Amino acid sequence: MDLLNYLSIGFFVALQPDNLFYCFVGVFVGTLIGVLPGIGPVGAMSLLFPMTFKATPEAAVIMLAGIYYGAMYGGSTTSILVNIPGEAASVVTCLDGYQMARQGRAGPALGMAAFGSFIAGTLSIVGLMLLAPPLSQFALKFGPPEYFTLMVLGLTILIYLAHGSMPKALLMAAFGIVLGLIGLDSINARPRFTFGWMELIDGVGLVPIVMGLFGVSEVLLNIEQVIRREIFETKIKGLLPSAKDWMDSKGALARGSLLGFFLGILPGGGAVISSFISYAVEKRVSKHPERFGKGAIEGVAAPEAANNAATGGAFIPLMTLGIPPNVVMAMLLGAFMIHGVQPGPLMMKQNPGLFWGVIASMYIGNIMLLILNLPLIGMWVQVLKVPYKILFPLILLFCLIGVYSVSNAVFDIYIMIIFGIVGYLMKKFEYEGAPLVLAFVLGPLMENNLRKSLIMSQGDFSIFFSRPLSAASLILALFLLVSPLIPWMGRKRQEIAKKEVS
Amino acid sequence: MKSKDIVSSLFWMALGVGVCYGGVDLELGTLHDPGSGFMFFWVGAIMSGLSLFIFIRAMRDKGKAGEMKILWSQVKWKKNIYVLAALFLYAYAFSHLGFILSTVPLLIFLFKAVEPQRWSVAILGAILSVLTSYAVFQLWLGAQLPRGFLGIG
Repeated sequence: MDLLNYLSIGFFVALQPDNLFYCFVGVFVGTLIGVLPGIGPVGAMSLLFPMTFKATPEAAVIMLAGIYYGAMYGGSTTSILVNIPGEAASVVTCLDGYQMARQGRAGPALGMAAFGSFIAGTLSIVGLMLLAPPLSQFALKFGPPEYFTLMVLGLTILIYLAHGSMPKALLMAAFGIVLGLIGLDSINARPRFTFGWMELIDGVGLVPIVMGLFGVSEVLLNIEQVIRREIFETKIKGLLPSAKDWMDSKGALARGSLLGFFLGILPGGGAVISSFISYAVEKRVSKHPERFGKGAIEGVAAPEAANNAATGGAFIPLMTLGIPPNVVMAMLLGAFMIHGVQPGPLMMKQNPGLFWGVIASMYIGNIMLLILNLPLIGMWVQVLKVPYKILFPLILLFCLIGVYSVSNAVFDIYIMIIFGIVGYLMKKFEYEGAPLVLAFVLGPLMENNLRKSLIMSQGDFSIFFSRPLSAASLILALFLLVSPLIPWMGRKRQEIAKKEVS
Repeated sequence: MKSKDIVSSLFWMALGVGVCYGGVDLELGTLHDPGSGFMFFWVGAIMSGLSLFIFIRAMRDKGKAGEMKILWSQVKWKKNIYVLAALFLYAYAFSHLGFILSTVPLLIFLFKAVEPQRWSVAILGAILSVLTSYAVFQLWLGAQLPRGFLGIG
């Protein structure tokens, strides 16, 4: 009954005209970003950050969340029609989606991707609604040692699942922590690593770093090569999948939703990993695995369901513990903070309108996405035809305005350009940006909780091992860090990394 | 020898040592009461250790000579340098000239410099993009874009 009451509060908030508008803008931009290769949901969220300043916290988070799950929808369109994933979570959809398009079945592929996303997205919201309240209650018992070790575990999982070298990912996380700690010491207000620059007293901003690493660097890499996007010229007809398509896909949808949701909860997990694993699972359980890669509709349904379900799951650690499990959620944490809201176990009690409003808006957003993605598919195909030479100056323009609007400081534009160069070099030298950004956000929280823990225990490190949850988190983190040294674990990790890269 | 890992690990090692030094400078404190440099010192030490590991592994890796050459062989330096120079110049001119006067030339340059468009496309595209973004960000969202010394924008 309580749940229904809260949900009605949520719908009351989500159905306010302002919030509906922001939800629409979010899912629309999300779909657009998903369709356009070269700028992912993180970049898009940074671009639209300034839009949220005049909005209420509810509207801000509703819009940014909409970009995230909207991008998951939109990403499938390019995968199916162009064989280029709009964002990383749609990479696997290319395998069977594009083959279906070549066989003249682009319509059912796009239809299944949209319906699958809708079904999985809705199921994951139900999961979020049911799991978040008890987890919040449980999290109230956490102290600084638990928070510190959970953040260590989150970062470790992200590093473990990194595409390439683990030491390099770990190095990037360490660099992210250093960047995150620049500015005033939160305990004694002493300036640290500011080199006399007044602009660094408040620390380096998240938005210029993200825009530089994911926006500017991507442009620099793309202008080096000629991007050819050959759209498969076919008439898209019959978007509704047939009864046979549904029969073939029902298991894939259910398994993809479940896998995606639970992998989304895991720190460092999320949409990309879940789409790969769900595809591998479908291939394994299928009676005809040879059909995969040749246009099997399950190969579209499973990853699309998984990547959308993961978005719902990813909200759980952020909303209940205040710990972002991935880079996108780190951006959302930034949005919460800018609006003076601290996500965590108390958020549900202190801000029920915000908490349940965001959840309810996801139901509405999913319906909007279904309408945007099916009848308007022709419009997205036209967007695909915009050449990159027209697109990249506009991406840079939005990055520049976005960064400046957040702080009204030219200094941040310089920071963004410098991190554009850093991001470009990182990609050339095979270093990943995701651990850096997550560690940048978690760094100050980690330091704070570490120092509080040590003050609590009077300098005794055993505090992290004497509490069951923190001990379990640390042991798991240590196990993951040394696991590449265990031959079969190392091989398994490399297999996952290779699959992702290929 | 994996040359690109050798080069990058040396850079990170230097940075890690610098962070350690900065941490010591900020005071480490004690375990009972960690100081402002405590976390910096240990994270810097981890960075240095990891870079050393990457360096040693790269030195032992055989058969990757000439990797650095391959890494940069296909890079169209001019395009990247043009874009970066334009961005730095833009950042410098932004508050002096104001949003409109600095952004229109930047966009015309970007439209023309990398993959040349017709002048009409470049000029019209730049003006339209700037006016649209001005309307959205300045007029609608209330962002405070700089007006420059002429007070335009």
